[in-house]
Amino acid sequence: MIIPVRCFTCGKVVADKFEEFRREVRQGEDPAIVLDRLGLHRYCCRRMLLSHIDIIDSFMAFATSELVEET
Amino acid sequence: MEITIIRKQDDAIHFLLEGAHVGFANALRRTMLTRVPSMSIDEVLILENTSVMYDEILAHRLGLVPLVTKLDDYNLPEECDCEGKGCSLCQCTLTLEKEAGDQDMMVYSGDLSSQDPEVMPATEGIPLVKLAPHQTLILEAYARLGTGLENAKFQPVATVAYKNVPLVSVDKSKCNQCGDCVEVCPKNILVLEDDVLSTQNTLECSLCEACVRVCEPGAVTIDSKEDSFLFKVESTGALPPEEIVERAAEILKERIGEALDFANSL
Repeated sequence: MIIPVRCFTCGKVVADKFEEFRREVRQGEDPAIVLDRLGLHRYCCRRMLLSHIDIIDSFMAFATSELVEET
Repeated sequence: MEITIIRKQDDAIHFLLEGAHVGFANALRRTMLTRVPSMSIDEVLILENTSVMYDEILAHRLGLVPLVTKLDDYNLPEECDCEGKGCSLCQCTLTLEKEAGDQDMMVYSGDLSSQDPEVMPATEGIPLVKLAPHQTLILEAYARLGTGLENAKFQPVATVAYKNVPLVSVDKSKCNQCGDCVEVCPKNILVLEDDVLSTQNTLECSLCEACVRVCEPGAVTIDSKEDSFLFKVESTGALPPEEIVERAAEILKERIGEALDFANSL
């Protein structure tokens, strides 16, 4: 749904690096170089960003903006 | 026993521990993982959540956010005078109130405002949830001290690892200067210069022995020093890495003392 806060395996915080990672990869930067610069050296943390698909935007298409009134 | 700091960064420390038994090194590692307390959100009161994320998932995400911990200012709930009910000495309240306007809005860990200015999220850029237009999120979160023994979110460290100090030696009489070992080494430890094979940064060696396999028998030998350990301590941001090591050493000393007292009383 949204990027996991921490790496499943080692517990390093990875969520705060995702937006920068996505932005730079979209600009055509090599993911390996971006991950190195973000300080994610272990493959457990690297796969967290590499393999993540953000689907919260698709969920938001079905969002209700008001609380459903109880009748 | 001797400790030499090799490299110190904001969130990680590398040090060399010499003259210790492997049991001690592992006890220190495990103390850092499971016994050093740190602050984390433990209870969340959701007042309003119209986002697409379930309350439970949001609460779980909040729990994983590392909080900057001042260990001397707070008590562990089980050691507090309030007997774990939650008072200002063992609990800190954080609030979050966000409403999206006409645009989508991302809620970050930095949007949490704390009752105690010292207890704040260690990193401000953790996305918690995304709000669609006009959705609101109002919640109150209660942070407390805890140890990794109870839940991994209380661990002040992401990884603590150690390895034996590698010893790489080259027997010049057996080496035929073919250079295969230089190419095969993933850490670039071996260098061939002017037909002489030498070593550099041997502490980086991962003991993979790839060089031994491609080489003439006996030309390169990889060994490890049994009583020296290279530690790598990586903090989540809750505590500075050097404080984690210091606290762990104190806690370990205390626990060994307790065990000795018990053994002597038998």
